[in-house]
Amino acid sequence: MKIDRRELLIGAGALAATACASRLPVSFGAFGAAPKLSPAVAEAIHRAIESAKRAGASYVDARVVRRKWETVSTREDHIEWVSYRETYGIGVRVIVNGAWGFSSASRVDGASAESAALRAVVAAAANAHVSERPVVLAPAPLIKGSWVSPCATDPFAISVAEKGEYLIDLWRSARSVPGAKFGAGHITSLGEWKVFASSEGSLLEQKITRIAPSFSVTAIDPSIEGFESVRSELAPSLGGWEYVAQSNLKQNAQQLAENAVKKLRAPAVVAGERDLIIAPSNLWLTIHESIGHATELDRALGYEMDMAGTSYATPDKLHKLRIGSPIVTFYADKTTPGGLATCAWDDDGVETYRWDLIKNGVFVDYQTTRDQAAWIHERKSRATSYAQDHKSVAFQRMPNVSLAPSRSDISVDDIIAATDDGIFATGTNSWSIDQQRYNFQFSAQMAYEIKKGKIVGPVRHFAYQSNSIQFWNSCDMIGGPKSWELGGAMDDGKGEPMQSNAVSHGCPPARFRRVNVLSTRNS
Amino acid sequence: MTESTDAVKIADQALRIAKLVAPSADVQVNVHESSEGNIRFALGVVQSCGEESELGVNIRMVFGKRSASASSNQTDEESLRSLAERVASMAKSSPEDPEIMPLLGPQKYAQAPIAFDPAITTVTSASRTGVPAAANHIFSESGLVGAGFFEYAASEYSVANSSGLRASSRETSLGLQMTARTPDGAGSGSARGESHLVSGIDAVACAKVAAKKAKQSAHPKTLEPGHYTVVLEPPAVAELLGFLFNSLDARSIDEGRSALSRHGGASPLGELIASPIVTLRSNPADPDMPCAPFDGEGLPREPIVWVENGALKSLSYSRYWAAKQGKKPTSMGGWHLTGGVAESTDELVKGVKRGLLVTRFWYTRHLDPQKGLITGLTRDGVLLIENGEIVGPVNNFRFNESPFNMLKNCDAMTRKTTRVSSFFLTCVPAIRTNSFNMASISVAI
Repeated sequence: MKIDRRELLIGAGALAATACASRLPVSFGAFGAAPKLSPAVAEAIHRAIESAKRAGASYVDARVVRRKWETVSTREDHIEWVSYRETYGIGVRVIVNGAWGFSSASRVDGASAESAALRAVVAAAANAHVSERPVVLAPAPLIKGSWVSPCATDPFAISVAEKGEYLIDLWRSARSVPGAKFGAGHITSLGEWKVFASSEGSLLEQKITRIAPSFSVTAIDPSIEGFESVRSELAPSLGGWEYVAQSNLKQNAQQLAENAVKKLRAPAVVAGERDLIIAPSNLWLTIHESIGHATELDRALGYEMDMAGTSYATPDKLHKLRIGSPIVTFYADKTTPGGLATCAWDDDGVETYRWDLIKNGVFVDYQTTRDQAAWIHERKSRATSYAQDHKSVAFQRMPNVSLAPSRSDISVDDIIAATDDGIFATGTNSWSIDQQRYNFQFSAQMAYEIKKGKIVGPVRHFAYQSNSIQFWNSCDMIGGPKSWELGGAMDDGKGEPMQSNAVSHGCPPARFRRVNVLSTRNS
Repeated sequence: MTESTDAVKIADQALRIAKLVAPSADVQVNVHESSEGNIRFALGVVQSCGEESELGVNIRMVFGKRSASASSNQTDEESLRSLAERVASMAKSSPEDPEIMPLLGPQKYAQAPIAFDPAITTVTSASRTGVPAAANHIFSESGLVGAGFFEYAASEYSVANSSGLRASSRETSLGLQMTARTPDGAGSGSARGESHLVSGIDAVACAKVAAKKAKQSAHPKTLEPGHYTVVLEPPAVAELLGFLFNSLDARSIDEGRSALSRHGGASPLGELIASPIVTLRSNPADPDMPCAPFDGEGLPREPIVWVENGALKSLSYSRYWAAKQGKKPTSMGGWHLTGGVAESTDELVKGVKRGLLVTRFWYTRHLDPQKGLITGLTRDGVLLIENGEIVGPVNNFRFNESPFNMLKNCDAMTRKTTRVSSFFLTCVPAIRTNSFNMASISVAI
């Protein structure tokens, strides 16, 4: 379908903050009507699409993206670093003779966009000569609309002074603890504004705001060998400054310092096969690595073999492989409120939604994009396409992948009370997993010895290592809905050149039996 | 590739605008102009490609003890003014930084090494398809499937500040990586190449090595975890060596939070931290990995001996910590690990009674910063060595090991070094090192 330039310019309330009738709760974000674009953006998109089509492209999409990234960092009682980065431009993706081509420009005007589009066409035509199979796109409904992620207070409107003082104030609370020697604070704000238009007629505008506050304390005691650091466990989130202001960072700053000192003075963990209770603040990363990446279809088929690797979850194992115990269900959802990967439409212009990846322990589905669905004979994309900025090509990126809570109202205290001998781990620290997502090893911010249903005290040098399938099959207790929390990362890497994706993972605390616990001091 | 624009001119323009916006500020402008492209392929199709010429400007302003920096890829007059206004606003609003250092004045730089290859203009969206064409042909002939990535860039860096510093440098860089696998998934091999010269990239040779590794590694036998003598190929050496850098930070050492911190605050300088055969140097004019003769602050990069015959000779100092401790600040080029006399990796293998030949590491992360302990996994080929001969492939392992132990227990290295960048530019040999902790089995291939 041809996109008319006049149509691009004629929209109703672009990015109106009022929620329209929506299939989802308001906490998901606010929908609006088709965007009204500035003349420069409209002209750029129009010329990109029309010139590529005239040059022989059978499909074209154009994304105009403005990406903003600000970091305020403190060290103890003073500012260490204040930086802001912004990129703006247009990326044009085309299919010519069945092959993808892509090019971009950092000027958003008609001439630059047309030039980028024609470079993409030339590249695609060349690529077609060395491509053995044509790209097949799954059907996608034509959509026009806009969406804004929930954000009460734009973090970019909060002064550096306020952010800096907020972080320095955390140190004021922490430094009162004897042994707390160093403190580091960071607030990172990420803003994305993008317009997607395709030759099929879709036209979408989205504005997404994310924020990541963190604070860490290092304890040193001259009478004890070494040092220990503990970082806050507050997850990064979709949202604005209100997320920081309403957080428990300030209340917890002193406790964080006390934990660092306790960790420094704690005995080494007893290595061996131990029962593990893992808090959401640690388990999200294990989900990310062992389930999230394993169920990416491009990995499973070998398309990521050169960098990220492949996967244990190959298509022949669909509906057969038991990845977890029967109480384990994982779902993918780019509409999770507060989720870092949450949006209304992916970068293929497909509406986002929720579906199961692992159902009652059995592997049932993948993450896909429009150009991947046909690889497993699907006719519908799972809407997981994403590009980090205008100069990056969109490809399959992880949606929010979460562990469903138990139906029973089980709390972390209930799980601890039910454990005779084990370790309770909170917060992420070291993490590593092999290229097929079998062997992983994680450590924690804090680990506590559990005896006869009670926490005895912290232990030091803790890490756990397992095989993904063995690990999730050893899961025998999962917390209830009230214990379910989001964790996440602003900078999950994938692809060549490497692209960054922000993604969250929700989970309750859970228990795992007979997991290999090691003391790093004995490694 | 397009002709490069004048990064120096933009740097001067941005500096002029920034001083108009904030006359009382000390201002530094860093410009990075790049013209770059890439192509990515797998399983017989081109997955993606890209190309863009871009100019990025970073403005840093200092008002007494307050500072901020901001960057943008929009370089018209109005955008630069807007950027300068943003930086000024952020810097004035920032709490004070008592550790702030004044901008550097004019510096003298060594003769810039030739890091720019004009032949970069011959790499086009059409010519780069020669990489997947060559790989697909070799993988197909070998009965394998494969994937790879080729990227190339021409860059110009320019620094200008209100204290009179001016610096600029041009460079080219090309990188190639390929992975080949047996169709049944029983074997996987990889190879890579990088250079600042177009002629330094050989897609056919890269594909052949990856294919050979894939076949060699197929159907591995199970081997128990344990401490092994290992022959590490250059990609594995570079990956682990890169973690050493943070441990050399003088401030962390002095503050007691480095693996090289010593009880009572003693200096680790002069200690034998590596085998006596190990020497580690950096030199911006290294012909194997030339780079700009200055860093982002405009500080001249100078030759540094980090480790000589196993003894620690230098630590890394920021400008602030150097001033506080009366030392010279550090600005370095890529790391070059030397001292080997072995003529080949085969010669290293011949000296192993029972051990492993490791192609590369994957997903390496800090595990215990107090010990400098790193965790990670082997990937794309682990071969069992018995009595100096390669016996056959074995499973991959997770290792928990430190770069210090890797260098301390090293008893032989190849004379030849290979450019392999991990965290930064490095040139490393293949090495043989003992008692390497393979902590658990990875069944991944």
